[in-house]
Amino acid sequence: MRKTTTLLMSLLIILSMLVAACGPAATPTPTPVPPTPTPTPQPTEAPTEAAPAEAPAEEPTPTEAPAEEAAPAAEVVKATPGQAVKMILMPKFLGILVFDQANQGAQEAHAELGNPEPLQFLGPTPENSVAGQIEILTNAVTQGIQAIMISNNAGDQIAPAAKAAREAGMTVVTWDSPIPSAEGEQVFVAQVDFDETGKVMADMARNILGEDGGKFAVLSASPDAANQNAWIAALQRVLEQPEYANLELVDIVYGNDQSEDSYNQALALVDKYPDLELIMAPTTVGIAAAAKAMQDEGLCDTVKVSGLGLPAEMLEFTLNGCAPQFALWSFKDLGYLTYYVTYLLATGALQGVEGETFEAGRMGVYTIEKDPTRAAGLRVLMGPFTIYDASNVEEAAK
Amino acid sequence: MNELRRRFQPEQIRELVLIGLILALALFFSTQIENYLHPRTFTRISTSVAVVAIVAVGQTLVILTRNIDLSVGSIVGFTAYATGTMLAANNDLPPLAVVLMAVGMGAAMGALNGVLVAYGRVPAIIVTLGTLAIYRTLLVEFSGAKSVLTSELPRWLVNLPPLNAFSIGAVEIRLLFLIALIVVIAFQILVTYMTWGRRLYAIGSNPEAARVAGFPAQRMVFTAFLLSGALAGLAGFVFLARFGNITVVAGQGIELKSVAAAVVGGVNINGGIGSPFGAFLGALLIDIIDNSLIRWLAISEFWRNALLGLMILLAVATDTVVMNRLRKAWVRHELQTSSASLSVEQGGARHAT
Repeated sequence: MRKTTTLLMSLLIILSMLVAACGPAATPTPTPVPPTPTPTPQPTEAPTEAAPAEAPAEEPTPTEAPAEEAAPAAEVVKATPGQAVKMILMPKFLGILVFDQANQGAQEAHAELGNPEPLQFLGPTPENSVAGQIEILTNAVTQGIQAIMISNNAGDQIAPAAKAAREAGMTVVTWDSPIPSAEGEQVFVAQVDFDETGKVMADMARNILGEDGGKFAVLSASPDAANQNAWIAALQRVLEQPEYANLELVDIVYGNDQSEDSYNQALALVDKYPDLELIMAPTTVGIAAAAKAMQDEGLCDTVKVSGLGLPAEMLEFTLNGCAPQFALWSFKDLGYLTYYVTYLLATGALQGVEGETFEAGRMGVYTIEKDPTRAAGLRVLMGPFTIYDASNVEEAAK
Repeated sequence: MNELRRRFQPEQIRELVLIGLILALALFFSTQIENYLHPRTFTRISTSVAVVAIVAVGQTLVILTRNIDLSVGSIVGFTAYATGTMLAANNDLPPLAVVLMAVGMGAAMGALNGVLVAYGRVPAIIVTLGTLAIYRTLLVEFSGAKSVLTSELPRWLVNLPPLNAFSIGAVEIRLLFLIALIVVIAFQILVTYMTWGRRLYAIGSNPEAARVAGFPAQRMVFTAFLLSGALAGLAGFVFLARFGNITVVAGQGIELKSVAAAVVGGVNINGGIGSPFGAFLGALLIDIIDNSLIRWLAISEFWRNALLGLMILLAVATDTVVMNRLRKAWVRHELQTSSASLSVEQGGARHAT
């Protein structure tokens, strides 16, 4: 009898392990997605007309577009330096380069504003991201921290802790990834606009494939990754325009933001579509793995790789022509801007309501606006993309 | 039938069934996917299975002793990252030294598991779940938010994955796959022909009897964990060579993949049954299904993982049902013949294998 029970138990354990082992959806760990911005409540249906369609970035070269796109006549709030605010910058988890870059930017703003209190960079480990984030936020309240900047990896689970922090008088700002319901969050500092991401990807595809166009495929993160789905939807809308008629999107596959899966998927694409000319990967893990796969199999001459990538990781592949062009926003700037927004809110210079305009140091003037991707949220839109190619990737990789 | 019974043990039949299943799958997919029976497909699958196959061999050794090693994912990640960082700082390190370093580092981490399980008498699942988290945390601390970058690695390492060891006709045997093959063969020989290996089975099938028989069970469990760690370290090196860019999430989930490969390959989670070769076939089967499904246009991305899971569940279900019957049939047969020849001990010993 006991033996049967043990056998049954162990069988159960194996079964659950197997299921966990094969299904990426069941991966117990947090989304291991370094630059994963903006999970929206409504995934695929990104705003069709609500989004501001400034549409810059026509050139392949770095587009350091103007920061003061939408500065209305209202008075511009400026920061008073030297005020003491105890602050925490919290990434999704520690150990990822882009979050460290965001910290550099925040520390730069911190020094610039002469805040006498230290700025702490605190985050959970990758395995413990969700619970760890909530714990750090909860502890911050009791430790007398006055403001926290969160790249949220805990979905709405963090909302109760965030609300409690707000009630205790703390300033709560999100960056990189917001709280979906916006509860407990004052403002979300968004890196880029979804529609612009689609346009930038289409433009890069056109630059790489040339005037006569060709077939390309998308290698995304997981099938339920809200940001990537919204970006791909935006890309598909852009492709309907006549000037992109030569670009044919033949397939969308998912590498689950794991090197192994992405690498295999990239090679499968090449096998499935013998005349494929480009793989577009809007994920930093995917783009690097795809480029390595093309390089390993000697396919770089026929199939190029592009998408959203980190300059340091893409350096090799951009210089040898496997990935001639890719895009990303600056995480350093994102950290810098986030710090300014938070400092202004914590010192009472900003109230955190729609329409307020403020100056963020070297980055210029920004406005708090309604977040078109979340019903209840407010956002500050940073933008734009920087396009990297052989001419500027080395500088950015340092 | 009797001839067949004498020549094969149930476990060997299982391995033959797996090989048959792999061939049948390849045949099936070749009718569904254009250009499937191309040497290229072999290259794709063989290079992709290398990392998990190496880890699964170590996992098998541990499972044979009725334990489990869940820390291997973090060991792979840690060694990949640590050797990558050292190589980035010093491009002139000799390749052999790098491999030995990776293996040594993995062995040290495996040894800690071994000490706690074998001598500390803490259940393996608890120890290795703990070290899974600890090794990952160490990696995060150690990394200081830096990644290992392909551009900083020496050329020989970046160019290692496409390196061809030898060719059979148009089929390439890549060096990294050859490493995995050598590991599988070496450990298959170890558990089949060496005393130490045979004793692993004894410990797993009946720890009490093994103890009474005077086997150094503690030392052997310790060594099994040490070897599992060492192989995970070797896999970490292969991982580094294959992907180049290594972040703190490297190797996450490999622990589950290695357990899955072992179980599908006929390694019994209760210990005492299975072989490294079986685990290798299990890894290969999962990889073939996975790599073929992503090339099969008829199946959507959303169903692929469900189908993969279903196929694995089927494999395990057949194992428990069919293999139990087979084993019983064999035992019955053994008892009949042995009672006839009055050699009961031999029958019992054969059952243990």
